[in-house]
Amino acid sequence: MARRQRGEAARSSSGKLTDEPSLTLPDSDDEAPEEVTFEDSKVEALRSMKQALDTARRKQKQSEDEAAKEETGEQKSKKKKKRGKAAHTRNLKGNYTVTMLKDQLSTSFQQQTAEEFIQSRLYGPGSCRTTSNELLSLENKRAINKSAAVQFVKKEWACKEKAKAEKLKKRWIHKQQIPPC
Amino acid sequence: MGEFKVHRVRFFDYMPSAIRAMAFNSRTERLALARADGAVEIFNFADHYFQEKIIPGQDGRAAEALCWVGQRLFSAGLNGEITEYDLENLKPKYTVEAYGGPIWAMSSNGEGTLLAVGCEDGTVKMFEILSERIQFQRNLDRQKGRIISLSWHPSGKLIAAGMMDMIRIFDAETGHSTYRLLVDRGFGPSRCKEVVVWSIAFLSDHTIISGDSAGKVQIWDGLTGTLVRTHPVTKWDVMALSVSPDESSVLAGTSEGTVIQFQFITATMDQQDKEWVRTRTFKNHSHDVRALVHTETAVVSGGMDTQLVVRPLLDKVEKNTHESALHKIAFPHRNLVCCAKKAGLLLFQFSDHLELWRIGESDGHGKPGDSLPVKRKPEKLIQLKRKGEHHICSSALSPCGGWLAYSTLSVVRLYRLQYNDNDISITKVSKLPKELRSVHQLCFSSDSSKLFASSSHSSVIVVALNQLECKYLHTLRPKSGSVQPVHLLCASEDGKWLATASTDCEVHVYNLCKQKLHCTVPVYSSCPTAIGIHPTTSNLVVAYADHQIFEYSLIQREYTDWSRKLQKQGLHRLWLERDTPVTHITFSSKNPAHIFMHDTFMFCIIDQSLPLPEARTMLYNQMTLRSLPEHERLRQSHAFKICKTFKHLMCVRLLEDHSVVVVERPLLDIMSQLPAPVRQKKFAT
Repeated sequence: MARRQRGEAARSSSGKLTDEPSLTLPDSDDEAPEEVTFEDSKVEALRSMKQALDTARRKQKQSEDEAAKEETGEQKSKKKKKRGKAAHTRNLKGNYTVTMLKDQLSTSFQQQTAEEFIQSRLYGPGSCRTTSNELLSLENKRAINKSAAVQFVKKEWACKEKAKAEKLKKRWIHKQQIPPC
Repeated sequence: MGEFKVHRVRFFDYMPSAIRAMAFNSRTERLALARADGAVEIFNFADHYFQEKIIPGQDGRAAEALCWVGQRLFSAGLNGEITEYDLENLKPKYTVEAYGGPIWAMSSNGEGTLLAVGCEDGTVKMFEILSERIQFQRNLDRQKGRIISLSWHPSGKLIAAGMMDMIRIFDAETGHSTYRLLVDRGFGPSRCKEVVVWSIAFLSDHTIISGDSAGKVQIWDGLTGTLVRTHPVTKWDVMALSVSPDESSVLAGTSEGTVIQFQFITATMDQQDKEWVRTRTFKNHSHDVRALVHTETAVVSGGMDTQLVVRPLLDKVEKNTHESALHKIAFPHRNLVCCAKKAGLLLFQFSDHLELWRIGESDGHGKPGDSLPVKRKPEKLIQLKRKGEHHICSSALSPCGGWLAYSTLSVVRLYRLQYNDNDISITKVSKLPKELRSVHQLCFSSDSSKLFASSSHSSVIVVALNQLECKYLHTLRPKSGSVQPVHLLCASEDGKWLATASTDCEVHVYNLCKQKLHCTVPVYSSCPTAIGIHPTTSNLVVAYADHQIFEYSLIQREYTDWSRKLQKQGLHRLWLERDTPVTHITFSSKNPAHIFMHDTFMFCIIDQSLPLPEARTMLYNQMTLRSLPEHERLRQSHAFKICKTFKHLMCVRLLEDHSVVVVERPLLDIMSQLPAPVRQKKFAT
């Protein structure tokens, strides 16, 4: 069946199986493809995908080896092929394209979970943390000549907080000026 | 002496990365340090803690654990891979997938034959260390929780693994878990959270010491599997543990930024039995201490505040000497700023991008100490994002400002910059010579016609630059067959000489007209930290990590008279006791007798026409001299004119109009952007 599939590649649009000998499964009105053929094509697709991944991985390893050795003219053309998405994409017959994703999704997901674990243990709820501003302001508050927190002392820091403080100050002064009833 | 207009630049937003792991090689006295952005740095503890090598990081790769096996360096990270590094070419040699999920811990056995890694899936995987690679051997029995920390027993027969809520002791040969030690959770609200055994140490007498997230250090008996003693040391986590080589002292690093020492001594005078007693507390960090190393004589700690602190133990070194002083290394011993002297441009190197700035202008005049009004503000001209996932290794800007180059482990990029009135255009040079790969340092010639790039085996590649293209000219190689990387490159102003310095302390000078090696400076015991070639006399000035300065005549091929005089008299004690190395040497066209150099806390003009300071005279005498009358000044002046007004210097350069550019990065600005520190309630705040 795999052979027949390839022969009809030109006609089929997105790889949909057409003109299969029907073998109706129980409980299904749809024309199901022949068991054998589906298995064959699945095996074929998996094999070519594995091949593409292996090739891509081999190419990547090869490029790392090349970087360590002296450059020769022949390797230059290989490098040209490697650039860009073309490196990790392989075209199969039948309008199939296999692309190796940049980061293997499962490892990066696990890595992210692990990083979130550390983050939540160290900085999550119950970790009793404060801000850098408070830490740096401790000295100002305990000095002999006490002064304001560092974010108000330094000119370029915390512009939003300074603006908020200005607004609050104006409001308070305004309130004081309203005669009490 | 000289009055200079100083451009005080504080818009370089340099942010160092947190220290995640450290490993010390006691035989070679090198400390390997891994940062959160994936960079690995090597410090030479035998050479004034000089930062010898930097292997740039990579996106998505950060080391959780570092391990020396002989001269080889391995790291393992949360991406599930074990990496071995090529320390001669400053890049990862290869990576091996452990297939156990994120790796939390890694440790090698005493003989250096096996590498054990603790993985997220609960397995401890053993890798055989072969001569050129590592190979998976087997898994120990798989456990239900993740393995956070590992420690081999010195005999190599047992492994202690810290997990969640427990510690397991494995028999390394059979792979079975022999003991399970249950660790108490914290009390109060932290009772519902699992306790994480962040770090663990297995001593020869089968004592196990553990540090956990409930803030306690516990001493266990590994033979019976019982708890001996609990020391609650902090309210937050104990993140790191380190044992001294003679196993008499243990250090614990906490999230508070403290390092607590425990010593195996008798608790009271008349007792016979020794036990682990808490002795000293060091508070040298403002944020969490994530990595600790206990050397024979010092406590080395690093963490989220990005500074490496070396605290010598006063019972191991002589007190009140330079040896016993605290060392804090906050800035890299490298130049991250490039200055185009003729164009007044600055290039800032970050790990993931470059910034090109034009410095401001001021018309005013004033007395020393005045701040002049700024006529035109500094402006950022270009921000260039790097290509690829490797971080930027080095960058360079030509003196005329017309060329810009940077290199990473995978790419080298060259750009042409054109200035039209207020516009700037940047064009990439597309066809670069194939020889330009894996370069460590970049340097433009002073007439911007050539680019020098240091490559493997201390060689230097020379390429010619024309308009929009770049052609390979030749490769310069030293005779000695050195394999160490070049970390300093300097081209002379007249275009005749090129000097290189490599991390094996070799300084080579090449004659660019003849395209071959001209001479090699006699090898000195310390590593060069800065080199410069005088524009007119062609004297090579070298500053070393031990703060010595040598001047070598390239024409005569021998040390100059001034240099011999300096060596005979010796440098001033205060100069030799400085904390940070000189990172740049430059010269003034106005005064040929002046040598400009700077380190992180001072910049200095050495006037070769003045007498050298004696041991008894004051070194920092600029303030005193200013207060003296004119005729007295000349009598008391000496050659070293040091200015300490500007601190945390990342770059000091002399521009063509004889003004000085000073790039500072105040530590306070760095600290304000660090992650949250712990909240410590202090009285009256």
